[in-house]
Amino acid sequence: MRKLLLSAIAAVSAAALTACGGGNEGPYAGQTLHVYNWGEYTGENLIANFEEQTGATVVMDNFESNEQMYIKVANGESFDILVPSDYMIERLIREDLLQKLDKSKLDCLDLLADGVKGLPYDPNNDYSVPYFWGTVGIVYDKNVVSEEDLEAEGFNIFKDTKYKGDIYLYDSERDSFMMALKALGYSMNTTNEDELNEAYEWLVECVETMEPEIVTDEIIDNMAQGRKALGLIYSGDAAYVMTENEDMGFFMPETGTNLWSDAMVIPKNAENPDLAHEFINYVTSYEGAADNTETVGYTSPNAEVMEEYSSEGGYYYGINAYIPRTGNPNDEVFVYDETTRAIIADLWSRVKVAASNA
Amino acid sequence: MKTFSRLSIPYLIWLAMMVLLPMLLIAFYSVTDSGNGIISFTFTFDHFIKFFTDRDFLLILWRSLVIAVKTTVICVILGYPVAYFIANSSDRMRNGLILAITIPMWINMLVRTYAWIGILSEGGPLQSLLEMLGFGSHELMYTEGAVLLGMVYNFIPFMILQINTSLCKMDKSLIEASADLGADKVQTFMRVVFPLSLPGVVSGISLVFLPAVSSFFIPKLLGGGQFFLIGNVIENQFITVGEWNFGSAISMIMAVIMMCSMYLVRRLDSRTEGRVSGSRTLPGGRLAS
Repeated sequence: MRKLLLSAIAAVSAAALTACGGGNEGPYAGQTLHVYNWGEYTGENLIANFEEQTGATVVMDNFESNEQMYIKVANGESFDILVPSDYMIERLIREDLLQKLDKSKLDCLDLLADGVKGLPYDPNNDYSVPYFWGTVGIVYDKNVVSEEDLEAEGFNIFKDTKYKGDIYLYDSERDSFMMALKALGYSMNTTNEDELNEAYEWLVECVETMEPEIVTDEIIDNMAQGRKALGLIYSGDAAYVMTENEDMGFFMPETGTNLWSDAMVIPKNAENPDLAHEFINYVTSYEGAADNTETVGYTSPNAEVMEEYSSEGGYYYGINAYIPRTGNPNDEVFVYDETTRAIIADLWSRVKVAASNA
Repeated sequence: MKTFSRLSIPYLIWLAMMVLLPMLLIAFYSVTDSGNGIISFTFTFDHFIKFFTDRDFLLILWRSLVIAVKTTVICVILGYPVAYFIANSSDRMRNGLILAITIPMWINMLVRTYAWIGILSEGGPLQSLLEMLGFGSHELMYTEGAVLLGMVYNFIPFMILQINTSLCKMDKSLIEASADLGADKVQTFMRVVFPLSLPGVVSGISLVFLPAVSSFFIPKLLGGGQFFLIGNVIENQFITVGEWNFGSAISMIMAVIMMCSMYLVRRLDSRTEGRVSGSRTLPGGRLAS
């Protein structure tokens, strides 16, 4: 009896083994790639195509914030690929958690658009290859808000009582303070407490007079349905809103905004760096990048893909939110500073308290 | 007997680790300076002073208490008739109704609250219905009404079940006796049934009031970022601001407020039990959790 049982187990496990290996004949057959990425941030067929090409299996986990990802990585959990934002990459480099990319294994760096290459957090792309990039701006209903007002007021339009009760703010201390600091003409990376306090006063005045709704991603659907006139939004989300509703426009104030990028990095404790390099190559290649940008709506770092999707006949033709602005000296990339982060977080929670009591 | 009492040791250890230790940590955090380790720390009451000298925080505390009281009152007014109806149904009917009340609770509260976002959102079914009935187009989401609705919806089952239990356990012969002695239906209800069901009402009140006053995801989802209650302030201090000490201090303040209200509710409970002398002691005034 026992013999029978053993042979049955052997047969089952043999079947399971062949099932795993079956059909995978690529160069990395049987290997596994652990990816840690934002939710809803990959092209429809990206993973399937990559698995088919390499024969490897991709295991993807999702995070909701850079901080959440950081905790796992700092605690030693092993991933082969992470996709953090600019300032978090800077922090990971500083804390020696990333490995340098082996550029002899990368054939994708030449494909990158100029504007997204060598951003200050990683000037030579020694550690990171961009995944998506974009800016933050104002999404607005063209039938309600005039372009002249936007040109004249910039982010101060969020304090224009003409639009009272008709605005969305984004519930993120970083983006809200960027808006206020830029409206006041300061750097978004200021560490000057007077300037931060001034920005705080700006935001308090805004929430006390304008009856804004402070939301997060609800803004995407709500603006696509034209429920309010104005909102603070990421350019990639604005691109989606504009493809859904042609009454919507996207505006970036002259006083500057935040240029951001999420990029792929390989942590020090990655188990399969070779395959990780392969993944970076595939995601940045024409095929992978096109798949990503079409599904997600954020701007592709691949110059050819960005060009094609935004030119005539392309999926994002005529949508200005799709192409991040380059060349405005007031635009900045976020720089991480723990002291300032704590101050801003505290002030933002007070802004929300003030909004509740307004 | 001694051997049996030893069986409780694992439970006591578990209780100490999972309940007592976190409570002590919160208490410890609330009276110490931020940024200190286990070994070096300074005691301070700054966090409490900060809270009680800030008009904005006090306003939010006040609003949280008011909305919790409103929730509780609505739950009693709506829940009592439902519980009464269920208690007076036939056995089969009663089981079915209790099941109907309990089934939604099998689904996660968060998911059910998300469902309300869909119902209340602009252009959603409820708004369209109100418009069709000629009430005009009102904004429903991100208002106090939406938060109140979410709270009543989520917590009313606790009220109904508590009242129903005490009504069902009631000795029916007392009602017959009341009728024998010449009381009409209204008098019987007012002087016999209602007082006897009060322990259920009282424990229902604590089961509704306590979660309502500290709830944070209902105001967050249905009230938007501009509708803060005290629970949101605490969550914010821990999750985004990173001021664990201040967050702990507010938690301690809330714990004291809750203990005070529990004490008051229990006093009320024991007084009502005393008034209906001669009746059996009914389960009530006890928190299930």
